[in-house]
Amino acid sequence: MQVEPRERVLEATYACVARFGMGKTTVEDVVKESGVSRASIYRLFPGGKDQLLRETVGWEMNRFFARLAEAVYDAPDFASLLEEGLVFAHRAIQEHEVLRKVLETEPERFLPLITVEQHRVLDFISAFLLPYLEREQRAGRVRPGLDLEAAAQYVARLVLSLIGSPGRWDMDDPEQVRSLVREELLGGILV
Amino acid sequence: MVFPATTAEAPSLSPTIEDRAVRATLACVARHGLAKTTFDDVAREAGCARATLYRYFGGKGQLVRITLVREAARLAASVREAGDAESTFEDAVVAMVIRAARELREHEALQFLFAFEPELVLPHVTFDAGNRFLVGAGSAVAPALSRFLPAERADRAGEWLARVVLTHALSPTRPIDLTDEAETRALVHEFVLPGLLGPQSLPRG
Repeated sequence: MQVEPRERVLEATYACVARFGMGKTTVEDVVKESGVSRASIYRLFPGGKDQLLRETVGWEMNRFFARLAEAVYDAPDFASLLEEGLVFAHRAIQEHEVLRKVLETEPERFLPLITVEQHRVLDFISAFLLPYLEREQRAGRVRPGLDLEAAAQYVARLVLSLIGSPGRWDMDDPEQVRSLVREELLGGILV
Repeated sequence: MVFPATTAEAPSLSPTIEDRAVRATLACVARHGLAKTTFDDVAREAGCARATLYRYFGGKGQLVRITLVREAARLAASVREAGDAESTFEDAVVAMVIRAARELREHEALQFLFAFEPELVLPHVTFDAGNRFLVGAGSAVAPALSRFLPAERADRAGEWLARVVLTHALSPTRPIDLTDEAETRALVHEFVLPGLLGPQSLPRG
C-alpha cells in the first residue's frame, strides 16, 4: 500500500518526537526517518519544524480520537457510550507513552499546541456524538425541546475536559463514572 | 495554582507591602509579560526600594507565587460573593459563572499570559495540574452553594462549575460567551443545573 508523503512525514515526525523529544527533533531527523527529501518536506510544511510539530500533534490527536470512536461506536445507548468512552480514554491517556514523556519533559512546548488544535477535536467529538443523540431522541429518551447540536457541543466540551483532567473523579471506578455521566453530563439531556 | 479558602491561609506578610507588590506584579505582567518582568520592574512600579522588597520576597519566584495565591483567593472570593447575593440556586449559579468569566476576561495580566505566554499558564491548569486546579477551585467556591446543597454535593457542584468556566476560557473558539447573561442563563438552565441536583432529580429508568 502506497502511503502519502504527507502521512509518512507526520508519522516520521511522531517517531522522532518519541525518540528525541520535541525540542531536539530537527527537520534533518525527519528527512532520515521518513525517506522524504528536505525540499519535499518544506513544500508540504512551509513553516518547517514549527509547522511539523503542530501538525503532528493534531495528527496524533485525530488518531487518538479515531481509536476512541472505534472503541465505543457500538455502545447500546448514549449514557453507556459516554461511560465506556471516558474509561477507555482515561486508560489510553495514562498509557500513552509519548504523551506522558512530553508532558513530563516539555509541557511548555507541547501544551500550547494541543490548545490550538483543540477546536478541531471538539468539532470531531460533537459530530461523532450527534447521531447517537438523534437515536436517543427517536427512542423518546431525551428531554422535550432539547437542542441536539447544543447538547452535543456541551457534552463534547466537558468530555474533553474530563479526559485530560478527571479532577475528583476516579475513572477506574465504574460507579463513579456512572454517576458522573448520568448526573453532571446528562442530567439536562436525558429524561 | 492554589486556592486557599480564605486569604488568611496565604503567607502573612505586612499587608501594605504585600498589597503593593502584588498590584505592581500584576501591572508589570499586564504590560510586558511574566518572562520579561524583573524584580527591579516590580520594585519601581510599587514605589519600594529594591532592598525592602527583597527582604519580604527574596526574589521573583516567591513574588510570583504570592501573587498567584492572592489572586486565586481574590477571584474565589469574588465568585462566592456573586453567588451569595442571589436567593435561588439557579440565580446563584448563573451569577457565579458570569462573575468568573468576567473576572478572567477583565484580568489584564492573565489575558496577556493567555495571548503571549500560554506556555507559562497551561502547565498549571491542564492534565495532572488541572486536577489540582479544579478540585481547589471547586472547594473554594463551594461555600456559596452550601445553602442549596449538602456539603459533599456543593464541592462536587463547585468543581463542575470551575470545569465549565475553565473549558470555555481555554478553548479558542467560543460558541458560548459566558460573560453574556442570556447565553449563560440558557446554558446553566438547560445543561448545567439539572446535572448538579443529585440523583433524586433524575427520573429512574
